[in-house]
Amino acid sequence: MTKLITIDPVTRIEGHSKITIRLDDDGRVDVARLHITQFRGFEKFTEGRPYQEMPSLTARTCGICPISHLLASAKACDDLMAVTIPASAAMLRRVINFGQLIQSHALSFFHLSSPDLLLGMDSDPASRHILGVAAKFPELAKDGIWLRKFGQQIIERLSGKRIHPTWIVPGGVSQPLSEAVRDQIVAEIPQAMAIARKTLDWFKPAIANFQDEIDSFANFPSLFLGLVSPDGAIEHYDGYMRVVDAQRRIVVDKIESRDYAKYIGEAVEPDSYLKSPYFKPLGYPAGLYRVGPLARLNVCERMGTPLAEGELADFRALQPEGAVLSSFHFHYARLVEILYALERVAELLGSPDILSTQVRAIANPNKAEGVGISEAPRGTLIHNYRIDANGLITWANLIIATGHNNLAMNQGITQVAKRFVDGRKIGEGALNRVEAVIRCYDPCLSCSTHALGEMPLRIELLDASGEVLDSCERGL
Amino acid sequence: MCLAIPARVEQIIDSGNAVVDFGGVRRSISLALVDGVSVGDYVIVHVGFALQKLDVEEAERTLALLAEMNQGAGRET
Repeated sequence: MTKLITIDPVTRIEGHSKITIRLDDDGRVDVARLHITQFRGFEKFTEGRPYQEMPSLTARTCGICPISHLLASAKACDDLMAVTIPASAAMLRRVINFGQLIQSHALSFFHLSSPDLLLGMDSDPASRHILGVAAKFPELAKDGIWLRKFGQQIIERLSGKRIHPTWIVPGGVSQPLSEAVRDQIVAEIPQAMAIARKTLDWFKPAIANFQDEIDSFANFPSLFLGLVSPDGAIEHYDGYMRVVDAQRRIVVDKIESRDYAKYIGEAVEPDSYLKSPYFKPLGYPAGLYRVGPLARLNVCERMGTPLAEGELADFRALQPEGAVLSSFHFHYARLVEILYALERVAELLGSPDILSTQVRAIANPNKAEGVGISEAPRGTLIHNYRIDANGLITWANLIIATGHNNLAMNQGITQVAKRFVDGRKIGEGALNRVEAVIRCYDPCLSCSTHALGEMPLRIELLDASGEVLDSCERGL
Repeated sequence: MCLAIPARVEQIIDSGNAVVDFGGVRRSISLALVDGVSVGDYVIVHVGFALQKLDVEEAERTLALLAEMNQGAGRET
């Protein structure tokens, strides 16, 4: 008899998602799956709209990482216009991208994951959240809120208070940076650096306490995909895609944006609404790969900033022979990336060119198809548009980070369920760990479904015929 | 992709928490990450935290767009 355990939805991720864990006849975990319902009509919806509207349209519908969509979309539009944007505009886009990365990583690490890390995976769920952390570790909670706000303020200072800024536009940015705003950001960098430093110094020695999780949290060989600069350094805004294997050997390098579809296929699985991208040369599902902070640290050769370079060396020491494979280390990678982003923001804002008033190229469309790729906090983001002679969208394709990681998340959940789930019931600790694995990837499943009704938090144990053997509910 | 639906603040429970409405679904969220939220404001919510305040005009434009998408392309569940 096969049993099915369902966790629905995943607490603190909130999407319209559920986890099913299928047990074999002996009550051992056979396979686990994350089922994600997302809005699939978006690309179709964009057809017939002017291409210039795409940045704000995509950003408006994804409020969690609007800057990432604005950037990938604007880059696809730059490509349609066949322009090279002014150097200062590219620098400003990089700064706002780092602002987004800092605020997103801070939210993920301090607000979502630190409760598991600090209070323990087996602690009472009623207090295992950021407020529980704030009660026991007030300074760390305060640091997390401050750092997230610093990143958010970079975005607001550059582009205005609105969450869907029209500052990032096809051809560059709409307004140059003022000296006053630059100085405001620069003045706060030392405090942000101190927090990043302090957090790394606390987290690195603490890693040893999580050996069980490190071993079982989606710790498996896979490919990794991410952007690198032309000289192989980590890259978040431009550059080429690179794929490395579990030994950190380069599988494909210098993939141009326009060639992404030669290497990335998109499979549709019957029981999930999220497409499952895979590395085409290996086929589906063998072409499983991971994107995001962990992948970026695995694909690059160097960071290119002094402090982050040292941190990369320490990070690499976790697995000197190859890529760092445990998804638990997404957390660690986020902290290294925060430090790197701060160093780069300081460097970019220190350049006199950052205040240049030449920030936008103006052109009509000069190509029928454009591709824009950037690194969102959660991983590689691809926007691909085709337009007609009037500049109206005839076809669009978006591949988001959570999509890239879909196959890897399933494999990760299966692995942790095999280690921590036993028998007919899910213990609290096992349930927490299954959810914590998903949180490593920080998937953007959120927001949509709340408007539409169903929000049960239900765990079900089903037999092969679908009959409920056991069920329980948890409050959020 | 996921959709960011503006939530309207219905009730401030205390300085740290509020009840919001997502097109008919009410739930409690944390206000720890945003300053100066009052009843009637719209916020973007992620993982139980209000991430950012939206001005009313901006929120209504997004809601109108989402309504159009819901009608046009349909939502699969």
